[in-house]
Amino acid sequence: MLSAGLAVMALILLFAFAGPIFVDTNMAEPLSATPRQAPSAEHPFGTDDSGRDLLAVMVVGVPLTLRIGFIAGAVGLGVGIFLGFLSGYVGGKVDAVIRGTVDTLLTVPGLVVLISIASTIREEISVNLMAMVVASLAWMWPTRTIRSQVLTLRERAYVHMAKLNGMNTMEIIWKELFPNLLPYLAANLAGAVSWAVLAAIGLEALGLGPQNEPTVGMTIYWSITFSALIRGMWWWWALPIVFLALLFVSLIMIAAGLDELANPKQRKAV
Amino acid sequence: MSTAPALLEIKGLEVQFETRRGLARAVNQIDLTLYAGERFGLVGESGSGKTTAMLGLLRLIEEPGRIAGGEVLLDGVDLLKLSEEEMRQVRLARIAMVPQGAMNSLNPVVRIGDQMRLTILEHEPELGVDEANQRIEELLQMVGLKTSVARLYPHELSGGMKQRTCIAIAISLGPQLILADEPTSALDVIVQRQIMQTLRSLQERMNATVLLVGHDMGLMAQFVERIGIMYGGKLVEVGSVEDIFSNPRHPYTQLLISSIPSFQTRGKFGGIPGVGLSLLNPPDGCLFNPRCPSAMDACRSRVPPLIEVGSGHSAACLLYEEEGTHASTA
Repeated sequence: MLSAGLAVMALILLFAFAGPIFVDTNMAEPLSATPRQAPSAEHPFGTDDSGRDLLAVMVVGVPLTLRIGFIAGAVGLGVGIFLGFLSGYVGGKVDAVIRGTVDTLLTVPGLVVLISIASTIREEISVNLMAMVVASLAWMWPTRTIRSQVLTLRERAYVHMAKLNGMNTMEIIWKELFPNLLPYLAANLAGAVSWAVLAAIGLEALGLGPQNEPTVGMTIYWSITFSALIRGMWWWWALPIVFLALLFVSLIMIAAGLDELANPKQRKAV
Repeated sequence: MSTAPALLEIKGLEVQFETRRGLARAVNQIDLTLYAGERFGLVGESGSGKTTAMLGLLRLIEEPGRIAGGEVLLDGVDLLKLSEEEMRQVRLARIAMVPQGAMNSLNPVVRIGDQMRLTILEHEPELGVDEANQRIEELLQMVGLKTSVARLYPHELSGGMKQRTCIAIAISLGPQLILADEPTSALDVIVQRQIMQTLRSLQERMNATVLLVGHDMGLMAQFVERIGIMYGGKLVEVGSVEDIFSNPRHPYTQLLISSIPSFQTRGKFGGIPGVGLSLLNPPDGCLFNPRCPSAMDACRSRVPPLIEVGSGHSAACLLYEEEGTHASTA
């Protein structure tokens, strides 16, 4: 499971990072090829309305989209781990404030907030700025789920035992709680990254993404804007969708595989 | 035992729980002295405060409970006055605990050896990994386990092996006092016997003091030298095993001893009349007076102090205050 997921992820990363060696990335600029061409030997993934070679677009766009996903997912999970442990382990008033804030924010539809944030940004949206916009909402769900996990873990007998054996609080959090949460956090990271990619694509498809960067989401946006579906230019919209499907499948398989690896009960006897 | 120096002196220990329905005095003015190298048993029904007293010694009473007063002198040093960091160093190194439910007392995702090394190095960081590993192998052999157990995860061990591991952790720093909270309650009698024998031989070898908490009177009779009986957070009787079993003085102890099933009186169960005490709404005077067959008027107004009723034997009962006027009901 893990190796299959990692293999797909490796394939995607190979495509993204080794691609520029074989493909001329200048072809991702408009007017670099004959527009509206179906896939052929010269342009394996065809060209779009503005004369971009779609293979070159994907080679440039996939790493950008991955970057948004991983930055936003990692920032979201990082904040979630910090607040979740703080809330769950310390408890009391700290917990009440964090929990109340998160629960309130979770009732607000995320896309609406993202649209308002993205549309109020006057300057040109860069890929990193895009990642931070998405990250601003990516921390709440991890905070909530990690908090609930910490709440049950901190009542386990071995945590009490660690206190009885004179371990200090940080040691208990790092050495007793954290290893137990690792598979959970890994699954959470995979979830946070896919959520961030999806949120970013959603914004981009509405035209609120980085206009000058050919990310996967912006490719979808251009294909919608120029009615690729009605005009039968299937190669234009199919390619980003295939990429997204592969990315999500690999993330889910990695999450499930990590769970197997980190949970000794699921490991085969040595 | 009286020739051995006192290791732990508990003076007027008081643990209270501030609940929404009022104040509960879970440990109520306990005085107790444990001597070096002895095995002492603390017995009482559920909720009598024996486990709370034990956690009180380690200063690990959690909210809404708190230690409201008293002194806990370990070698003359009051543990209740130490800083939190100093107290943390005392735990395991000088007072170790063998837990009640060994099943859940080990971290499921950390190998046994790693868990042991973690606690050892936490207290003795200067030891280094190699020496710690060497000590872990010795400890595992001392509790009768193979050294290969260090590489296993807790779910790969049986209940008895887990409890042995917990004992190995407890003795890893050579504590002076080992607290054992019903260490065998989850085990079958065969394993129970092996574990208690292991604990006993280690205790004798290390000359440590063991405080065994539980309500298994048979286990107590075999293992400990002295027994303290708790009722409603108070220590009502303290004496040698022989005195407690053959000549109990406090009416509660008498009823407790007579309620142990025996072959001579098959089919007949002596019980203790009435229901357990509510700590939120305790009776005036002696806490046992509503259930006591020998209760007098004075019992409803005066709290009996722990008084000497024999050599090394004391009971908290007004019957013995004016020795002779009231005959023992034994």
